[in-house]
Amino acid sequence: MRRRPGIGGLQTAAAARDQYRLLGENVAKIRTDLMKEQLTTFRTQLEDFARKHKNDIRKNPAFRSQFHDMCSKVGVDPLASNKGFWAELLGIGDFYYELGVQIVDICLATRPHNGGLINLQELCNLLRQRRKSDREAVSEDDCLRAISKLKVLGNGFEVISVGKRKLVRSVPTELNKDHNEILELAQAQGFVTVAEIERRLSWTTGRAIDAFDTLLDEGLAMIDDGHRDGIRRYWFPCVSSISTAVGADT
Amino acid sequence: MQKLGDFKLPQFFNYPPYFTLQPVRDTREKQVQLWKELILDYCRTQKIFVIGLEEEFPLFSNPAIERSLSHEAREAFLSALVSEGRAEWLDKRHRKCLILWHRIQEWANIILNFVKENGLEDSVMTVEEIRSGIESRGTELHGIDRTILMRALKLLEQKGKLAIFKGTTADDEGVKFSI
Repeated sequence: MRRRPGIGGLQTAAAARDQYRLLGENVAKIRTDLMKEQLTTFRTQLEDFARKHKNDIRKNPAFRSQFHDMCSKVGVDPLASNKGFWAELLGIGDFYYELGVQIVDICLATRPHNGGLINLQELCNLLRQRRKSDREAVSEDDCLRAISKLKVLGNGFEVISVGKRKLVRSVPTELNKDHNEILELAQAQGFVTVAEIERRLSWTTGRAIDAFDTLLDEGLAMIDDGHRDGIRRYWFPCVSSISTAVGADT
Repeated sequence: MQKLGDFKLPQFFNYPPYFTLQPVRDTREKQVQLWKELILDYCRTQKIFVIGLEEEFPLFSNPAIERSLSHEAREAFLSALVSEGRAEWLDKRHRKCLILWHRIQEWANIILNFVKENGLEDSVMTVEEIRSGIESRGTELHGIDRTILMRALKLLEQKGKLAIFKGTTADDEGVKFSI
């Protein structure tokens, strides 16, 4: 478009810009409409799928997990609300709500022993024991989903990764990197010693003892002076299942 | 689940740190609570009335994990029971502890029930008969520690439910019920 000088030129340029803008908006609108239509189709098909496979979703944790993945790809969160299609059809909201309540229960009950940090695996085991009579099996994935819903309860209930394991935190305790490293080392035998920390992580004694003191104060660690070698061991209930601690260190 | 005889031991008994007195207050409180319950439960089911701190009491060590309670720990847990009225030191040096898995008042009630159930309201019995006579078999009174029994009887005497009198020897201290 040739530019013409003067006011007339300016007006022409403005008109041209307007036209381009309108064209752009139209194209965008067409695209959006298309996307909306596709999304609606997706959602309808998802709902059909859910209806057809309702039982599988309920009974099979692996299937359920893949179903969730599919939903999230399409931007659907079956757990977003306790009403509506998903809740009524699958009762899935209830399932996770109930799971959440049971998880809170277990965390509270075990808190005096482990200081508010529990191994995800042990949490699941305790959950399964509690739900023995229920028909619906529960996987670690289910636990994680229920816990993510629990986050609305505020500062507690978070899943943290320590080494190869996942720990569920139900107290506001913040763990720093030093604490994490100790917990990771402790996963091997359920306990660590100051010497081991110094050796494996190259820390000073002071740094190790500081970290241990905090972990003790938070109720996450317990001391053990009873070994015949006389060396103090620091045990971490959250990294072991108490029933597997027998004969762990003799 | 580990057992001592046919007594089922709780999980914490297999976790080494519970055999060391914990320095952090909240953790210590939890630890003391667990041990208090265990000691009372065990004594009640095994009918143990006296614990000697320096003797080999089965709960004081767990060979499976090679841990034993220190003298300090033993004294701490038993002292906690004493504070709660569930035990009494028998000597100043705290070497022997009387375990009251029933409080004295509870034993007194058990004696009253025993008397009523056997129609002994106006009769006379020796102290020894109360704890080892035929009527006592199958009841909680059977084999009861003599010290505890005397304390319960004295409590009932103060309430006018009976009178204790001495026989010719210590063995036939007797009781006249007037319930």
